[in-house]
Amino acid sequence: MENTKPLITIHKLKKYYPVRKGFREMFSTKKEYVKAVDEIDMKIYPGEILGLAGESGSGKTTTGEIIVRLQEKTGGEIDFDGHPLDADSREHRKRFRREIQMIFQDPYETLNPRFTIFEAVAEPLKIHGIRNPETIYQRVIEALETAELKPPEQFLYSYPHELSGGQRQRVAIARGIVLKPKFLVADEPVSMLDVSIRADILNLLKQLRADMGLTMLYVSHDLSTIKYICDRIAVMYLGKIVELGPVNDVLSEPHHPYTKVLFSSVPIADPDHKKERIVIDDEVPDQIHLPEGCRFTPRCPYRTEACDRCTHKLFEYVPGRWSACIYREEELKFNPDYLEEA
Amino acid sequence: MAFLEVKDLEITYTVGNGQLRAVDGVSFSLEKGESLGVVGESGCGKTTIAKGLMQLLPKNGRISGGSVKLNGRELVGLSKEAVRRHRLKEIAMVSQSAMNSLNPVYTIGRQLVEGIMAHTSIGKHAAYQRAVEVFQMVGLEEKRLKNYPHQLSGGMKQRAVIALALTLDPSLIIADEPTTALDVVVQDRILHRIIKIQKEINSSMIFITHDISVVSEICENILVMYGGKVMETASTSSFFRRPYHPYSLGLQNAFPVITEITEELISIPGSPPNLLSPPEGCRFYERCPFAEELCRKEPPPLYEAEPGHYAACHFLKKADEFRTRASKRETWEAVQTRMIRREAEEGY
Repeated sequence: MENTKPLITIHKLKKYYPVRKGFREMFSTKKEYVKAVDEIDMKIYPGEILGLAGESGSGKTTTGEIIVRLQEKTGGEIDFDGHPLDADSREHRKRFRREIQMIFQDPYETLNPRFTIFEAVAEPLKIHGIRNPETIYQRVIEALETAELKPPEQFLYSYPHELSGGQRQRVAIARGIVLKPKFLVADEPVSMLDVSIRADILNLLKQLRADMGLTMLYVSHDLSTIKYICDRIAVMYLGKIVELGPVNDVLSEPHHPYTKVLFSSVPIADPDHKKERIVIDDEVPDQIHLPEGCRFTPRCPYRTEACDRCTHKLFEYVPGRWSACIYREEELKFNPDYLEEA
Repeated sequence: MAFLEVKDLEITYTVGNGQLRAVDGVSFSLEKGESLGVVGESGCGKTTIAKGLMQLLPKNGRISGGSVKLNGRELVGLSKEAVRRHRLKEIAMVSQSAMNSLNPVYTIGRQLVEGIMAHTSIGKHAAYQRAVEVFQMVGLEEKRLKNYPHQLSGGMKQRAVIALALTLDPSLIIADEPTTALDVVVQDRILHRIIKIQKEINSSMIFITHDISVVSEICENILVMYGGKVMETASTSSFFRRPYHPYSLGLQNAFPVITEITEELISIPGSPPNLLSPPEGCRFYERCPFAEELCRKEPPPLYEAEPGHYAACHFLKKADEFRTRASKRETWEAVQTRMIRREAEEGY
């Protein structure tokens, strides 16, 4: 995969939010920021599904939103298909908007309740200058069919409230693919859905990749669905990527301590499964005053003094597997205080 | 007699002109110190049970039948005021939107102290001491008692609500999706904290969730609901080793397992039945790949499949065959085709 040209190259991407101050601090000159995304590097290759995992506040959604340009970045570069994403010409911007689409978490809120399904799915086409009613009709039908809303004619003139959650998410997907994009950002697309429907949507996303060659960024906090659908995974913690690699390798042998902890917290539907429970402080540190060095240090069961000098630089310790921990796997020393008392 | 005995519980909502029976003849019992996980999809009636036990049903809902006995005393038919006195002291609830159940204009400490004083005769100082104690139990610092809800993170608020529920050592804890809105690391910590405290004060717990893996980790028993009825109930270990009901089999297919490489997830086609006009026979009939004529007409009672393991299916004897067939994609795809065909027949 390393030989092919990446579809998206993210270099030192930054998103800082200035902190609004109270009256007293208004006159001080010191500026404070929440570093939601802090100089991350990432490549996404054509045809792959990259999972972006992390807790709330880790910056995973922000990263996705910057790629679709729902938010403006503070710094860094994003290249899409060889062109910088923030090219200022109107034409370029429109092209990116067509080729990069997004699916959101809550299918109950993403659809305009006053739009019929036809109107909702046709809207992007109209915005992108397709006027011929017949073409529009054809493409809407096609998109609904691809999203497995069958028969599509039956849904055209329904309103969102008449559909179930799963069907609504399919409409959202149809709307996302109607312009035949190259790249799709899916932000927690199944977390609001019932278990029995989740599998359907995940399978549909896989199918889209197979049929349309879609490349995807799958943003989620749920490692099990990431494992099911993604090829590679990037784990974020407080604005930094801490580990990146093929999903099965990372989740069977996590390297970064944070990934280890995250993995050990996932509940497993097997009463015979005995796992080592690592217990860490469940409070994420203050996002404005971040710890020196590795941001995971205050909660890390493996920390040493040297961790304060960590720069979060990802290094490739096995080909294709990257980790920001300064130690190699065999050098990590676990502090047994963090094991759960039986 | 068990500590909590729920028998043939029926809860009905009045919706427009119709009567919607959200919980329909549910029975289970719970011993002291035991925990029961209630799982099911949205709309299966799991939260309604919790609200019914707490007598916190909305205005259009009522318990229309059955009995709930806590420690031998009947709760159904008691006045709201009488039940209110039981709440917190005997039954405590940690609800789904616990984060929003704190009053934003009072400090957390004041809310705890108020709750304690309303149900006991101890003084303010002693109540405060107790608040400090429960805060320690859930792992919050004493100084947090002086904070307002907005000053706490989501995880801390959830812990504060758990502390609030535990202040009077309730003998029954009802936890309704207490960790759904939280991150995995926080969820893990809170779940294990709840369990630890529950064991410490030896109370019983009903844990409501849509996530069967959570139940597998923390509960001794499981109750699977579908369309207002119990489909299967067993000890957790028995349930995960040998599930009997086709719905349970379908549920297990639909979950990705993080410890294995899942080749393919299979979902259950269709959607839950409309409870305003519930099906005559088995509630799962429409979506069941093994349904037969008998299932359409006759609602199956709970049969004992193994000692202590019950399932509401007419064809328990075929469970082995079902298990093999349920793991195949074609089995469930056939349901999809059957549904489309049936719809077409009805449509024209």
